[in-house]
Amino acid sequence: MEGEDSSNSGVKYLVGKTAGKSGVIAGLVATHIATIFGLWFYGARLPKFDFPSLNGYIYVGLPFGFTHPDVAFVVGGVFHYVDGILFGLIFALVVSPMMGRIIKPLAAMTPTANYIKGLIWGWTLWIISSALWMPLLIGPILAPYGAPVGTFLTSFGPYGVQALLANLLWHTIWGANLGLIFSPRPASGGVRSWTRATAAEMR
Amino acid sequence: MVARTMMAAAGLFVLGLILLIAGAVIEPAAPAISQSGESLIALGLTFIAIAVGFFFAWAAPS
Repeated sequence: MEGEDSSNSGVKYLVGKTAGKSGVIAGLVATHIATIFGLWFYGARLPKFDFPSLNGYIYVGLPFGFTHPDVAFVVGGVFHYVDGILFGLIFALVVSPMMGRIIKPLAAMTPTANYIKGLIWGWTLWIISSALWMPLLIGPILAPYGAPVGTFLTSFGPYGVQALLANLLWHTIWGANLGLIFSPRPASGGVRSWTRATAAEMR
Repeated sequence: MVARTMMAAAGLFVLGLILLIAGAVIEPAAPAISQSGESLIALGLTFIAIAVGFFFAWAAPS
């Protein structure tokens, strides 16, 4: 599965032959693993994070009243997975190279630097999810049913602030898997720097 | 530098274990919930996930 960029860029990936393909695959794997763990959270006494159903409530729940839970899960799941894959693609093509140029300690193409960049991207999405997505979109849907979300996800129904931390755990799992699987490295060994890689090389 | 990174990852792992155990001890039996207990469980699992990921990244061939 390991591939080297066919454009002779000198960069190889853990999976896929280009940054785009590798990012898509990493996004899919990370999204599925995080989604499954989120559905398992209640086993550890944490709020169950059912992002497929939450997405379904947005897309098919509100306009028609609450639709059947299975329909919400499937429709929302499609959007949720596409979102996760595209966030992985954005990470691979835009965010990861950008971090390598702006944050000097992350410039090297090493597994550890790639992993840390994945974590940072996951935590960025955690902030967006907790500060905007949950309060502005999910809050109004669930509030009439006794599960308000609160500012920055700090009062999610009976779970309260731990939902914010469970959301952090979810996005940490996502970012960790993304950073571990999307792992560009020099094809010839050694440590190559993002500061020396051009944008054309990474496409 | 590598050794220091691994020590930091090991520290995160131990910290996560401590928080997880503390949260499990605080957490009452179901169906009652404790916000402190579940918060510590979530944080503990987060630190453990980060540390395990660091180990995988460190162990990956470069």
